[in-house]
Amino acid sequence: MANEEILRKLSEGVLEGDEVQVKEWTEKAIAAGIEPLEVINDGLTKGIQGVGALFAAGTYFLPDLLLGAKAMDAGIKVLEPLMTGQKREFIGRVLMGTVQGDLHEIGKNIVIMMLKTAGFEVMDLGIDVPARKFIEQTRDFKPSIIGISALLTTTVGRQKEIIELLEEEGLRKKVKVMIGGAPINQNWADTIGADGYAEDASVAVDVAKRLLGLVG
Amino acid sequence: MKFDYYSEAQLLQVHEASLDLLKKVGISTSSKRFQTLLLDHGCIEKGKRILFTQDVIDKAMKTVPAVFNLHGRNDLHRLEIGSKKAYCQTLVGAPSVIDIESGERRDALLKDLEDITRLADALDNVDIISPLFPRDVPQEIILTVETATCLRNTSKPLSICVESSRELKFIKELLVAVAGSEKALREKPLATLPVSPVSPLEFGFGPAEALLDVVEAGLPLGVEPCPQMGATGPMSMNGLVAMHNAEILAGVIAAQLLKPGCPLTMSSRATFMDMRTGLALWAMPEMGMMSAGLNQLGRYYHIPVAPGGYCGSSKIADMQSGYEHLYNALMEALAGSDIIGSAGSLDNALVECFTMLVMDNEISSVVQRTIREFEVNEENLAIDVVAEVIANHDNFLGHKHTRKYLRSGELWIPTISQRQTFEQWAIKSQKVEDIAKEKAKNLVATHQPAPLGVEVEKEFTKIITAAKKALM
Repeated sequence: MANEEILRKLSEGVLEGDEVQVKEWTEKAIAAGIEPLEVINDGLTKGIQGVGALFAAGTYFLPDLLLGAKAMDAGIKVLEPLMTGQKREFIGRVLMGTVQGDLHEIGKNIVIMMLKTAGFEVMDLGIDVPARKFIEQTRDFKPSIIGISALLTTTVGRQKEIIELLEEEGLRKKVKVMIGGAPINQNWADTIGADGYAEDASVAVDVAKRLLGLVG
Repeated sequence: MKFDYYSEAQLLQVHEASLDLLKKVGISTSSKRFQTLLLDHGCIEKGKRILFTQDVIDKAMKTVPAVFNLHGRNDLHRLEIGSKKAYCQTLVGAPSVIDIESGERRDALLKDLEDITRLADALDNVDIISPLFPRDVPQEIILTVETATCLRNTSKPLSICVESSRELKFIKELLVAVAGSEKALREKPLATLPVSPVSPLEFGFGPAEALLDVVEAGLPLGVEPCPQMGATGPMSMNGLVAMHNAEILAGVIAAQLLKPGCPLTMSSRATFMDMRTGLALWAMPEMGMMSAGLNQLGRYYHIPVAPGGYCGSSKIADMQSGYEHLYNALMEALAGSDIIGSAGSLDNALVECFTMLVMDNEISSVVQRTIREFEVNEENLAIDVVAEVIANHDNFLGHKHTRKYLRSGELWIPTISQRQTFEQWAIKSQKVEDIAKEKAKNLVATHQPAPLGVEVEKEFTKIITAAKKALM
């Protein structure tokens, strides 16, 4: 089978959110001698871009995005061990987490998925994350953006605490801070000195790109 | 009541699915106390989950009181939770309000909490008051300040949602100060304290500890997780109802194991997600339909229920808000509701609005009228009256039967709805929301709640000072 055909099957698999098909055709692509980076760029990424386009057009919804991202991951998992020395290109690096005392993660997870789909590299610290942990990972992971999520009206204050701690530790100028969560609004973002706020997940991607100067 | 969402067979299917979840999937919690309580009573540890057994479920469900009373701080207010009266409760935890003058959304302040509590105190069809979240008070003692502010500005019963045990001691001290003694508070509880575990089936640490502490404090508990279809719960409505019911029952069971007979409500919040933006929607029709199903389960268990219902996705007090709030509240009331929450809310229960609270007062009035019990008897069937009027070539207007039923309240009396002639209406040409806004302004400007005693105020000052010292 021609390489183009294999790559087309891969992008279709991602578009359909079919993990099984993507895994299978990724293995076939390797067996056919296609370079891992080519599999990613001309197969998987094409598929996820198609998913993004259908979402933007209103045909696809959040579950379609999630399943598309999962299918892409199934291919990446096969490829990663083979990619020694080769590096995937990302458009930015984001550290994400839900503040201490808050166990809510669905909103954060949607934003992570959409950022990944848009080409960001994301580290997820999970839920109930102490401010210190954000600081440590800012040092180690060196993100260009930190995303801080809080759902409870009683925990939103933690977002402020993290920004203050970044300041104290001399890290504030090295990163952009984005905040989100149901009770959050622009006014709160301004009050605590966050660089960005987004009212929903797709806006979050736009804001992240804007903060990094990737769009006008 | 009047309306069954599920057939009898369907109801049992959903109930069995909930039990299946409790037995096969169970719950998780990082609270050792919560774990130990469940395991000591026969639950089973499996990996990180705690599974329930039929014995534990049966034993705990038997002791839930079907009815308990909730009191105001004077004798005017005594609510019978469990007799399906659809008491109207205000929204909890809104971080924003619609400014009554400018109509703009802005951060909620302590002054707003005072004003909206006084407004709710003045509105006859609002029965229970839950606080918004003021941004201009020290956040470390926010619940303590809220409780004190509510107690000062209303004599109606309260509902104070707690996410952890942090401030519980001080909340209770405030309530005891008003009740007179701990014993008096137990006998006549002034507040329910809902606790919100995380969906799906996760009790965490804060919520688990808070649940146990509320029960130990002898205060009525609410078990109030808030799943979203397709996000933190299944996309199928029946699946969400079964899972939500299971997580609520898990809390109910834990409470009963700790203290058999402790009063509580099953406080469902069956919401869904906008599949484009990811926003949590507290809208219709799905929320009303699922809540009706959950209320029916509560009826089946003889456990009081307290869903959120005066809510929708509209951003202003407009026609959309009107039909969203009426739809959800009426669906829930018809299926048998003890409390219906979120009154005065906009924007998926994230914003509190003075105008909307007056509108919800009107809606609550018609909802409560709708579910009023009635008899069918010879007198109200009025065959004789019909025969008499026709025989006399008369009309019903001048008949004593008409006057009698008019006086006994057969007709619903609106508080703000416009029903005059077109000409009379045209003089001002006001929309109902304009009238609601005017009424809100007037009541906020003039209504005075029954004051607290001087001694109680002194006690409050002491408690708040102590809370500051301990928590800040």
